Amino acid sequence: MSEIGRLAIVLGFVVALWGIGASVLGALRRDSRLVDSGKHAAYAFSALTGIAVLALLSLLLNRDFNVEYVASYSSSTLPIWYTISALWGGMKGSLLWWTFILAVCNAVVQLQNRHKNRDQMPWVTATMLVVGAFFLSLLVFITDPFERLPFTPREGSDLNPLLQNYWMTIHPPSLYIGFVSTTVPFAFAIAALATGKLGDTWIRTTRRWALFSWFFLALGNLFGAAWAYVVLGWGGYWAWDPVENAAFMPWLTATAYLHSVMIQEKKDMLKVWNMVLVILTFSLTIFGTFLTRSGVISSVHSFTQSGLGPFFMGFLIAILVISIGLLVFRLPLLKSRNELESVFSREAAFLLNNLILVGIAFTVFWGTIFPVISEWVRGVKITVGPPFFNRVNAPLGIALVFLMGVGPVIAWRKATAQSLWRSFAVPAGTGLFAGALSFVLGVRNFYAVLAISVASFALATVWIEFWRGMRVRQAMMGEQPWTALSRLIGKNRRRYGGYIVHVGIVMIFMGIVASSVFKLELQRSMKVGDAATLGGYTVRYDGIEFENDDHVERTYARVSVWDGEGPNAVQIGEVLPEKRFYKKPKQPTTEVSIWSTLGADLYVVLGSYDPESQLAVFQVFVNPLISWMWIGGLVLTIGTGVCMWPSYAERTATVSARAPAGSRPA
Amino acid sequence: MPSRLARAVLVALLAAVATSTAATGARAEIATQYQVETDLTCQCGCGLTVHSCNHLNCGSGIPLKKEIGEQIAAGKSREDILGHFQTKYGEKILSSPTTTGFNIAAWTVPFVGIALGGLMIGVVLVRWRRGTGNGPPPAGPTATTDPQLRARLERELDDLDRRS
Repeated sequence: MSEIGRLAIVLGFVVALWGIGASVLGALRRDSRLVDSGKHAAYAFSALTGIAVLALLSLLLNRDFNVEYVASYSSSTLPIWYTISALWGGMKGSLLWWTFILAVCNAVVQLQNRHKNRDQMPWVTATMLVVGAFFLSLLVFITDPFERLPFTPREGSDLNPLLQNYWMTIHPPSLYIGFVSTTVPFAFAIAALATGKLGDTWIRTTRRWALFSWFFLALGNLFGAAWAYVVLGWGGYWAWDPVENAAFMPWLTATAYLHSVMIQEKKDMLKVWNMVLVILTFSLTIFGTFLTRSGVISSVHSFTQSGLGPFFMGFLIAILVISIGLLVFRLPLLKSRNELESVFSREAAFLLNNLILVGIAFTVFWGTIFPVISEWVRGVKITVGPPFFNRVNAPLGIALVFLMGVGPVIAWRKATAQSLWRSFAVPAGTGLFAGALSFVLGVRNFYAVLAISVASFALATVWIEFWRGMRVRQAMMGEQPWTALSRLIGKNRRRYGGYIVHVGIVMIFMGIVASSVFKLELQRSMKVGDAATLGGYTVRYDGIEFENDDHVERTYARVSVWDGEGPNAVQIGEVLPEKRFYKKPKQPTTEVSIWSTLGADLYVVLGSYDPESQLAVFQVFVNPLISWMWIGGLVLTIGTGVCMWPSYAERTATVSARAPAGSRPA
Repeated sequence: MPSRLARAVLVALLAAVATSTAATGARAEIATQYQVETDLTCQCGCGLTVHSCNHLNCGSGIPLKKEIGEQIAAGKSREDILGHFQTKYGEKILSSPTTTGFNIAAWTVPFVGIALGGLMIGVVLVRWRRGTGNGPPPAGPTATTDPQLRARLERELDDLDRRS
């Protein structure tokens, strides 16, 4: 099976090279046979990569420890779901997994565009195959996932216990889908530059792909935060680790792109800037891949330090040189109408929104690479940790949420004083009231008060948009409220889906603010029967229990949870924080236990247990509003679904396009 | 317009830098265990601050917490304690860059970049305004001649007719 896998990646590499050449030559010579050959090569590349992935999966499931990758990342006792996730658990497998997702995206793009965009598709095919060929070249020439050992170990080394968590099955795949699918808008942008067809076609064609990749980047980041929260046991969810930053930056630039592209669609402006954003977003995904594999910056997420760094850096430089070169070459064709009647307009608001988003991305990038720069300039190692990122990004994040309230509501072209008053009087009043109320209730942190104000302002603008729209439909159509609401959303999915996404983002923002500013914590050494109180909860240590199997040894504490303090406290449940000791590899881990409500999480960690004294050390946190982060993610998902769902006109157009000529609709 | 905008951006930049560096300027204040633990990075490789690291029997975090306690008990200020750790373990133990020498660039470059971006936007906005056709702006809600919106209006009116 390893031979099949090896053959598949070698053939896939050769086929990709053929596809690049055929597509480019076919486009330049306008030779449809070469273009078709390139298209078929793209399909073959997808199929061969799929075979390679299936081969590696088969080796993992069959526990073929003669294969180095299988021996390194699995064992005979590893549960099946984690065995499957070992496919992306190591560096070689993750590179193959990246290529596989690219192959799937490539096949879908080919299918979607089999009857359209004929001029662009050869260049799209070539671009996507260039990326595919690069990744396969690493696997073919440098780091073979099917490499066999000169002996067969009796047992594998097992997957890192920190990765043996159900989040491992969903966080990396979703993040990789987000990363890799940014290749599609990038490929279409390159095609537009190569062909000189720089109208809106490439934007309309890739709009859903851009939203798709943005969505999976958002999900991937949220899943990663959730994983850190429930597994690592430090009570937090984001440490501004370089690899976390590398996943966050393309999401920021993708968000900027989703907004500024609206200006190009409606006003035919910002053509160059949108090209820059697409190139930047894709480049940042390659940069993130470089960070995890180069060892340039140390990170808890890094794969084993490898020699792949220079190759990724070289590829990144090549991407930037070629794409910026093409952009400069086509600048004369990218002239926009560029008219603006007032700085008090949606165009200006979206520009500011882009400034903040790209500014945050730059800040994160700068903080991530500054240790390298500092060592290069001064020869001194420094750390740029969470306090830096939190301090610098806090005002920017607040400004961004404020603009989230302004942008959707302010008029295009020119907002008059009357329209500004009509749109913002109530939201502004709501924001000011919320800020004042929080101050009266005892919130003294300046940023927290400001955050509450702008979040309330943003939510109020969304609420008013829905309310006004519903009331207009009820008045004009005589519809019931729910009918009016559903038809309001249905008639303009993109707009109202965007509003729903904004609500999700504001919820995530409030979860971050509350859990950062108002977190409570204590550490206590307790014997059985002892209790501690924190944030309106009482926790009582009731006992310790043990479990043991071939795979893992568990020590878990029974801790009852009480709402309130003293004799009036009411027991509401029990948490079971545990310590695990994995037998292969010999590694301890912490499993936190969380009592979660809408208002706060009670987060309990078993620090240590001494069998002789029977004393257990507990860390207890109360994290306010942290559930809002996860619920906000769900709201964001719903909003994205609404945005992406095809409208009645689009569905009708698709049916008409498929219907034979002369047929009548049913 | 450009000079007013430039002044506004400069004021915002100064305010942002002042706000962001205010805490670092407060290092001469009284030290607390929590604050100093947050000012230092655990050296076990977890990437977290000393306060956040919860590795069992952490060979770095636990001794550092003890040493912090001893320094505070000795009555030292936060600045002195951080200076002590910096001398002993190197600058890398601090969880954020200092505000001296080359490290100032860490704090200011982001805001300088954003300010420059803001200035560029200001210039662009001025140019776009000059590019707008002459004639009075529309009063009240702007009438739309956007063909996409017109087509959509017609479709919705057709929809209404079909249902009525």
